[in-house]
Amino acid sequence: MKRIIASLLLVVVLLTGVIGSLSSCDWIPGNKKPAADFVMPEGGYDGSEITIKFYHTMGAALTSILTDAISSFNELYPNITVEHQSYGNYDALLSQINTEITVGNQPSLAYCYPDHVATYNVAGAVQALDELVNSTIVEERADGTTETIGYSAEQRADFIEAYWNEGLSYGDGKMYSIALAKSTEVLYYNKTFFEQHNLTVPTTWDEMEAVCRQIKEIEPGCIPLGYDSEANWFITMCEQYNSPYTSATGDNFLFNNDTNRNFVKKFRQWYQERLVTTQELSGGYTSNLFTGNSSNATEGSEASKGTRCYMCIGSTGGATYQRPGNVNGVYDFQVGIAPIPQVDVNNPQVISQGPSLCVFKKDNPQEVLASWLFAKFLTTNIEYQARVSENNGYVPVMKSVQSDPTYMEFLAALDADGKENLTKNITAYAVRVAIEQAENCYTSPAFDGSSVARIQVGFLIQKCFTAEGSDVDALIKKAFEDCVGECNYQIGK
Amino acid sequence: MSEIKVMKQRDMQQVTAQQRVIKIVAKVITYIFLFTMALIVIFPFYWMIISSLKTLDEYRLSIPTLFPKFIDARNYIEVFQNKDLLLGKLFMNTLYVGLVSTILSLVITVLSAFAFARLEFKGRNALFGFLLATMMIPGELFTITNYQTVNAFGWMETFTVLIVPFLVSVFYIYLLRQNFLQIPNELYLAAKVDGTTDLKYLWKVMIPLSLPNLISITILKMMGAWNSYMWPRLVANDDAHRLITNGLRTAFTDASGNTDIPVQMAAVALVSLPLFLVFVFLRKYIMKGVSRSGIKG
Amino acid sequence: MANESVATKTYFWYEFRKKLSAFAKKIKFDQWKGWIYLSPAIVLILIFTVWPIFNTVRMSLLEGYTTMKEVNGAVFNFGIGNFKRVIDYPGFLTCLKNTVLLTVLTVPISTFLALLIAVCLNSIKLFSRALQTIFFLPYVTNSIAIGMVFAAMFKMIIGGQARPDSVGIVNNVLEALGFDYINWMNAGSEYWANIVVMTVYIVWNALPFKILILLGGLQSVNKQYYDAAKVDGTSRARVFGRITVPLLSPMIAYVVITGFIGGFKEYSSIVGVFGEGMGPVGNAYSLDTMVGFIYRAIGKQEGTASAAALILFAIIFVVTMINLYVSNKKTHY
Repeated sequence: MKRIIASLLLVVVLLTGVIGSLSSCDWIPGNKKPAADFVMPEGGYDGSEITIKFYHTMGAALTSILTDAISSFNELYPNITVEHQSYGNYDALLSQINTEITVGNQPSLAYCYPDHVATYNVAGAVQALDELVNSTIVEERADGTTETIGYSAEQRADFIEAYWNEGLSYGDGKMYSIALAKSTEVLYYNKTFFEQHNLTVPTTWDEMEAVCRQIKEIEPGCIPLGYDSEANWFITMCEQYNSPYTSATGDNFLFNNDTNRNFVKKFRQWYQERLVTTQELSGGYTSNLFTGNSSNATEGSEASKGTRCYMCIGSTGGATYQRPGNVNGVYDFQVGIAPIPQVDVNNPQVISQGPSLCVFKKDNPQEVLASWLFAKFLTTNIEYQARVSENNGYVPVMKSVQSDPTYMEFLAALDADGKENLTKNITAYAVRVAIEQAENCYTSPAFDGSSVARIQVGFLIQKCFTAEGSDVDALIKKAFEDCVGECNYQIGK
Repeated sequence: MSEIKVMKQRDMQQVTAQQRVIKIVAKVITYIFLFTMALIVIFPFYWMIISSLKTLDEYRLSIPTLFPKFIDARNYIEVFQNKDLLLGKLFMNTLYVGLVSTILSLVITVLSAFAFARLEFKGRNALFGFLLATMMIPGELFTITNYQTVNAFGWMETFTVLIVPFLVSVFYIYLLRQNFLQIPNELYLAAKVDGTTDLKYLWKVMIPLSLPNLISITILKMMGAWNSYMWPRLVANDDAHRLITNGLRTAFTDASGNTDIPVQMAAVALVSLPLFLVFVFLRKYIMKGVSRSGIKG
Repeated sequence: MANESVATKTYFWYEFRKKLSAFAKKIKFDQWKGWIYLSPAIVLILIFTVWPIFNTVRMSLLEGYTTMKEVNGAVFNFGIGNFKRVIDYPGFLTCLKNTVLLTVLTVPISTFLALLIAVCLNSIKLFSRALQTIFFLPYVTNSIAIGMVFAAMFKMIIGGQARPDSVGIVNNVLEALGFDYINWMNAGSEYWANIVVMTVYIVWNALPFKILILLGGLQSVNKQYYDAAKVDGTSRARVFGRITVPLLSPMIAYVVITGFIGGFKEYSSIVGVFGEGMGPVGNAYSLDTMVGFIYRAIGKQEGTASAAALILFAIIFVVTMINLYVSNKKTHY
């Protein structure tokens, strides 16, 4: 017993002694220098055999669309081999690349959120794209056609401006990522119910409150509105009020201000009056409340449906979950989709989510170039963009995709008999509304800690809505202060 | 005298009758207790099976159903129809990694446990204490360093990297050491007097006597290969080396990263089944072996 | 010259061998045997456990260390700033309290239950094989399923009326018994209710392994002791207290000690039930633990994470030493 303790103490002493000398050695793994910054080779891509590694999160359906896109790409660039691997979800992808960066094993190209790019950037691992995007060097392709390395003026104009700007949200004016496909939040509403009771679809938050109260009078037991994501709600409201949320430089977490505390206080009141709920607060998917899919009782009986929502704000990416059940093709109710309510209808702000692409620094400039050419191919290839959108309700980043005949057929949302059926083809319907909103998308600053802020403001809303006490203002103030404190602590400030 | 004898006999009879009642009541209570606990313990397994038989819509209900509205075998069909999944390859990879790492790990564990339980050498207790201490540091922090190490060894995307780093488990060495300590030391000393070598003694006496725990370790180690996904995903996420859980976790996700859990559950149930059957058979067979040879303690 | 040097060399080797054999005699072969048997384990542990621990200590002593910054060539000051940061964390005491509370609650309960089940299983003949198989089933159950069940048991679905749409299976049982239902884990739930949920979950999770180990131990116990007890007519309780527990004590010690070590590292079970917020909705991090804190800091502040890991190590170390001290006194080998 004594011996065990003695020897352990010895080990601890030894460890501390050795550590001091270790800290400066560069044979410690992790002390590898990052790859050099990219310098455009004269003459661009030289046609050499290049293998690029592409990490993404696609499931089986999207992977098969990607495989087809890679074959089309290889008809143009037969010497560029694209090896791709799926990591299933964004968190897994993030920790994978974070770990790989420590030994310089990172892929050539990856799916990303701007938050992730900011993290990789701490290690200086991401290639700024400005030189590539603007390059006018002309490439000969294997099918005899040519293209410039960067986007042509035509393509640049075709790229949805708001999506483009997301790649510039890193605080230093440089572009580190390029949008691939974007979803946005829309308001799903029960059209049948709205028509039955002569309700108007709200376009502002004031109208929203009025409609909620009307619905509450019609059916006191219901919760008129469900909002899927608390964090999206908070960030979107900051943008709509034009009130500070975060900053990529200087003091990062700016959201503790009067405007923000006031809207949180207002919505807290809504929540307590049961006008609104969220996924976390209700304990189940809000889409279930909307579709009446929350109960396990016998189908058909009205009482079995549980509490209902008649409006639901959620992503276009999950449109099919907002579709009610049907018996022989007859849906329980018709779904309507509208833009989310605004503070100021003349200055609409909606969130955009979904994958972007980032290119990593590599010692071989040809590899960077090849990755870029593939990234550019994916963003500009109409076939790929259209099929991804049809599959999951994301908006193509190029406006011209919208005039592609096959894609237009999808957007028409027709039944087999040629009639428009928006509830059945809800994905197409959601994309239509999202396309109208595309230029209204805001981007929030991306920095090492923007993902922390996102998570914490979600908790903040939950806390402010549910906290009990007589002095609501003091409660909310305390919660905001704690939240900023936690954010700063987590990023080491 | 005789009266007293008769009274005693009557007492004895009463006592035995009483004992018999107590015995029966005890048996009944034992069974009730065991069946209740069994019901609780088996619940997640039941949940996995019924989830694999639900439609996605039913699975997503806020209030889950305790029994599927209708049995839907489509999930199982979908698992087989998913041609990108390479189920056979995933299964063989996992089986290979599971078998090799289990066997190697058993050898290392038995040798180490034997050294700690029976051999006298300087520094034994200190070393054992040190090994125990390594268990006390949360291993989440080791991942990056170990990644760098295997990268320096050039082991990326090999089976070696899936097998070697986790061969030694202090947890199992400790378990087996405790088991070996249960076996009376006199046996060992007697064997030494007889001139039996250590290895022979280990093989003939120690291993048979601790078979139940060795089987437990085998089961846990095999299941480890079946369930591990963090490390394999990090170091060998290519088609040639991907393990089952990883394959299943990524195959059935949609664009937003939502998983089609019913299909995933069906896939999990399918790949767990052969493993389960093997273990039931193995356990039964070896238990028989133990009781036949008798514990000669 | 040449001859001389050869002679010196030969002499040197002669001396060396003599010393070596004397040394070998002194320590005996037995001394080496232990190390030889342990060598494969030691080599692997040095590479894959001790080396990472070295690195952990290094990171903990570099102030504000993050892996990403280091890759980019940042230089960090040597010092104890990270440890200070951990202790200064406003939620540090909450982490500590939850960690200790959950361990102290779950280890005795799960050990006792597992022991009871194992002894019962070992004492019956009818259904014994079927029941043993059932208690083994959790091993082939996917962890996602386990988390889901728990939600079904305790979670409420809050509706628009005064009453929730669903109150979970446990509350259904409570209601059937005439009690009011309890808010176990939703928004506004009380701390003790959360702790009850976590205790049940952790005990439940730990049970199958402990049963397996204790049953294995029981089956290794010499049956002659029991036969002797039968002849003597010893009562069941006495057999349990005087024979089963002492003979099983090495295994019980094992289950308790590893239980404590595992308990102090509790994290994933809380995330499994309560999500990344590690607390009921509206009260994030109220069930935070030491490893929960460490996990959040990985990928952002590895220096802080390492310091917290070493603080946790110190705590577990002291507790394990006490455990070992007690068990060495009580354990019968």
